[in-house]
Amino acid sequence: MSGEFYFPENMAPGVGLFDFDNDGDLDVYLVQGQMLGGGRRANQALFPPRDPSALKGRLLRNDLRVQGDGTRVLRFTDVTGQSGIEARSYGMGVATGDIDNDGCVDLYLTNFGPNQMFRNQCDGTFVDVSRHSGTDDPSFSVSASFLDYDRDGWLDLYVGNYLDYRIEANEKCFLVSGERDYCPPTAYRPQRDRLYHNNGDGTFSDVTGKALVDGDFGPALGVTAADFDSDGWLDIYVANDNHDNLLWMNQRNGTFRNTALLAGAALTAEGKAEASMGVDAGDFDNDGDEDLFMTELTGEGANLYVNDGSATFEDWSARSGLGPRTLAYTGFGAAWFDFDNDGWLDILTVNGTIAAIEALRQADDPLPFHQRRQLFRNLANGQFEDVTDRAGTTFERSEVGRGAAFGDIDNDGDVDVLIGNDAGRTRLLINNVGSRKHWLGLRLVGEKVGRDMYGARVAVLRPSTGARDGPGGLAARANGSRVWRRARADGSYASANDPRVLVGLGDSAEAPRVQVVWPSGRVEEWTAVPVDRYTTLTEGGGR
Amino acid sequence: MRRVVRGIAVAAVLVGCSACGSNVAPSADSSSPIGRPQPGAAVPISRLPVVLPDLSRAAVPVAQQLRERYSSLMLKAGSSTTPIAEMAHDYGEMGKLLMAAEYRDAAEPCFLNAQALAPDDARWTHYLAHLYRLRNEPARSAAMFERTIQLRPGDAGVLSWLGAVYLLEGRLEPAESLFAKALSVQPRMAAALFGLGRTALAKGDYPRAVKLLEEALAQDPLASAVHYPLAMGYRGLGERDKAEAHLKQRGQIEPAPPDSVLSELNGSLQSALAYERLGTRALDKKEWVEAAAYFRKGVELAPDSASVRHRLGTALFMTGDARAAMQQFEEVVRRSPDFAKARYSLGVLMLTGGRESEGIEQLTAALRFDPGYVEARLRLGEALRRRGRFQESLIQFEQTLEIDPRNAEGRFGFATTLIRLGRYRDARVELIEGTQAYPRQPEFGRALARLLAAAPDDSVRDGAHAREMARRLLEERQTIDLGETMAMALAEVGQYQQAAALQREVMAAAAKAGRPDVVRQMAANLALYEAERPCRTPLRMDDPVESFEPVP
Repeated sequence: MSGEFYFPENMAPGVGLFDFDNDGDLDVYLVQGQMLGGGRRANQALFPPRDPSALKGRLLRNDLRVQGDGTRVLRFTDVTGQSGIEARSYGMGVATGDIDNDGCVDLYLTNFGPNQMFRNQCDGTFVDVSRHSGTDDPSFSVSASFLDYDRDGWLDLYVGNYLDYRIEANEKCFLVSGERDYCPPTAYRPQRDRLYHNNGDGTFSDVTGKALVDGDFGPALGVTAADFDSDGWLDIYVANDNHDNLLWMNQRNGTFRNTALLAGAALTAEGKAEASMGVDAGDFDNDGDEDLFMTELTGEGANLYVNDGSATFEDWSARSGLGPRTLAYTGFGAAWFDFDNDGWLDILTVNGTIAAIEALRQADDPLPFHQRRQLFRNLANGQFEDVTDRAGTTFERSEVGRGAAFGDIDNDGDVDVLIGNDAGRTRLLINNVGSRKHWLGLRLVGEKVGRDMYGARVAVLRPSTGARDGPGGLAARANGSRVWRRARADGSYASANDPRVLVGLGDSAEAPRVQVVWPSGRVEEWTAVPVDRYTTLTEGGGR
Repeated sequence: MRRVVRGIAVAAVLVGCSACGSNVAPSADSSSPIGRPQPGAAVPISRLPVVLPDLSRAAVPVAQQLRERYSSLMLKAGSSTTPIAEMAHDYGEMGKLLMAAEYRDAAEPCFLNAQALAPDDARWTHYLAHLYRLRNEPARSAAMFERTIQLRPGDAGVLSWLGAVYLLEGRLEPAESLFAKALSVQPRMAAALFGLGRTALAKGDYPRAVKLLEEALAQDPLASAVHYPLAMGYRGLGERDKAEAHLKQRGQIEPAPPDSVLSELNGSLQSALAYERLGTRALDKKEWVEAAAYFRKGVELAPDSASVRHRLGTALFMTGDARAAMQQFEEVVRRSPDFAKARYSLGVLMLTGGRESEGIEQLTAALRFDPGYVEARLRLGEALRRRGRFQESLIQFEQTLEIDPRNAEGRFGFATTLIRLGRYRDARVELIEGTQAYPRQPEFGRALARLLAAAPDDSVRDGAHAREMARRLLEERQTIDLGETMAMALAEVGQYQQAAALQREVMAAAAKAGRPDVVRQMAANLALYEAERPCRTPLRMDDPVESFEPVP
């Protein structure tokens, strides 16, 4: 942070979890910024880095060891130097996906400035194909999502762009008292997002103008792709800052139409366009469709939009308890994940304000934006309980949270969380709860392509899990019925998640039946899939 | 949150309170202080320390105002003869000022002290309720609204506010009960109808939600925020057309409950930004004169603020005083030459006032400082085209489309400028694509019909198609220029008599509309049709076919 209130300073970084070396465990990518403002050096920053010359994105290889007694020993090795990844721009976020179907996950970095695409060469190294691929968008990009929107077997790319912002045109904004603060997004014009079609030859074509009709681009912060109307084609939801959100419904002909407004997904129940930073789609009520969760600014409360199955949504923010309990917080990274493996999706939000907190500022806190993160447990009745105070001492930390990547980093059967903090340390939260229950771990891989099939949906016929399947409402519907999950790396904020599907089974050790709906439309089943371990399901290998 | 207690301020309070008794401070939740104060008596009452926040970064007028008020408060607090009622008032006034300046933590002890000293004065619990609401503490806010209601049972505004807090918390039944109670006191209160309607919507009771929200809108037609939940209500009833109609009208102006304390806060702080916010709210409500008054106060406090002065100019323009508006825009440009919005506003005003060269200059300058300013580019493109600078005009529309390929107005401007340049085939391609990409924008169809009827290029014309298009467009809307288009198409397919008859009708309509200039221009085409010759000029000077109105 320069002290000049430059916009990007308050918005980064994202973080990424992905298995770049295909050794079965998740490696880490950390996004890094730079000093903004011409002629300024890193040692002039408000929080100077220890080694300014080392300011670049980092790739950390996970050298996980599982000991004989099952104990996990996590150790990371910085392999940036030999990886070939040179990321010295002002980094905002990261997206991961196998763009050339060679079975090795590639990396897309969103920047304040030209974005970068690094192709994984499957030998521990990456090559910069930004210009060759045609995806080096020079906009102020934040979140991105790889998805095969036209079902041609190649991962396409949606890039959410934020604001038409230039350092030299940095506006000065003030509080009512006259004190200077960061500007709101309305001080600048939004930039348009981009949809890139993967041509299958290492290049992408910008199809934004042709494919995305009928929608007003806003300052995009969060992006997630999911099949909201269960027609077998991936749709895209974009969370815009202080602007109508977008619900791009796939028309199955290479184009999308924005239906967010009438669908009830553009605005809150009061008709307000809120900040909307982090976003995730997930079936929190286990009724078979994808619902939406978004983090918001202090005073707005997080939003929960419940899908009725036809991509029509109702605002349950207040009723669920999520809205009121997040009112005092500004949330960024967040995702649906079953932290306790009871079969119901919970929520973790990573918090930190963008406007200085009065009490911290008055106390001369050098970083008056820090807040606690929060954990909400799904009560299986449409409501959530704030269990932050019982979640461990790590939740007592107050930091300026931004990106959050969710994934099982120690492969013990529960979802851990990697957090990127603004002007602060990266945190890795190891989940010690979920692995006490039974779980099903799935990696969904394409038949000919050998890559994770983003968008593939999994139905797990869930056996009775005892205490959590109580009478009435949602719990009764889920008892013995299907639990749907989806393979994805997108969602949260500017971050890349573990694409494996992890389903909590509670107390049941019974090997369940699993149905997979592949992005191609093919449907297959597997019976008696082993529990408490990861199994790879390959398209074409089921019944 | 930590509360900082500055040494000097604490000492001042302690010295000032030498007559004070107990050291126990009243808490926010206590129903009464230790010992009930007798109004007018100087009774030792425990008070929370009131500390000014660090004002070193605050604007000078704000800091000055706060310090003056604080000095006055401390003087009275230090005197053992200050009547309790006066002390309560002064703590309250200090709290209001701090709250207006958004120093909410500092404001809290002021209101708590005021409440402790004057527990029967509902104002202080009312202010505390709003303070906690703005601090995102709904439970405490609700508790204070409840206390306010105990002190002032018939206050419909407070009942409605409390209902809104419960609604925010998802407590639908109590919210519903409170809104209903507010309506029993004030049956046509738009805010309570709005709240009750939203509660019904949250419960999925769409018929009731629609009924209540329609009533709210009837009571306060300017409350544009009602349209969105009303749209959701119609959606729930399956009435999609009505839902879409209301969605088009949605806005941010909520029907506000009558609230004496909030209106007291407005204008209490001498802050440029505070006045700017008030002015912006007034602009949203189309209260142009009030908006201008607020912005003027803001400019007095911050004469160099380009943003406030520009808004003042806008408000003045909306009151009809274009000259005063221009003066403000010129002043902004003088003080902040790179403030593109002011250059744009100045440019538009100049163009409207016939100062075309200067207007073009200002729009060009706006783009120099902000190349992504699409509106400025569109206006510049139009202005250049009107001056006959077609190639330069085309560049502006082209660049608009580079910034935003889906900009309908940019695409239309590009297409019609191609016509002006004589590039009829290219224009036809663009207009056909435009009719497909923007089916709700009739301008593309109108211009295409003209081109098909009268382009000099034989390979571009298609009289039959032009006639059919004109016929369909006329069914939707009858205008002079569409009539002219139909006449052109009729002539193109050889129906000269009908073309002439229609042209005479259209000329009569133009005359009736007080447009002798248009009548004169149309006479040339009439002569052609009477001579059984077709028209070969698709667009005339300043043709309304070139005007564009984006559909929301």
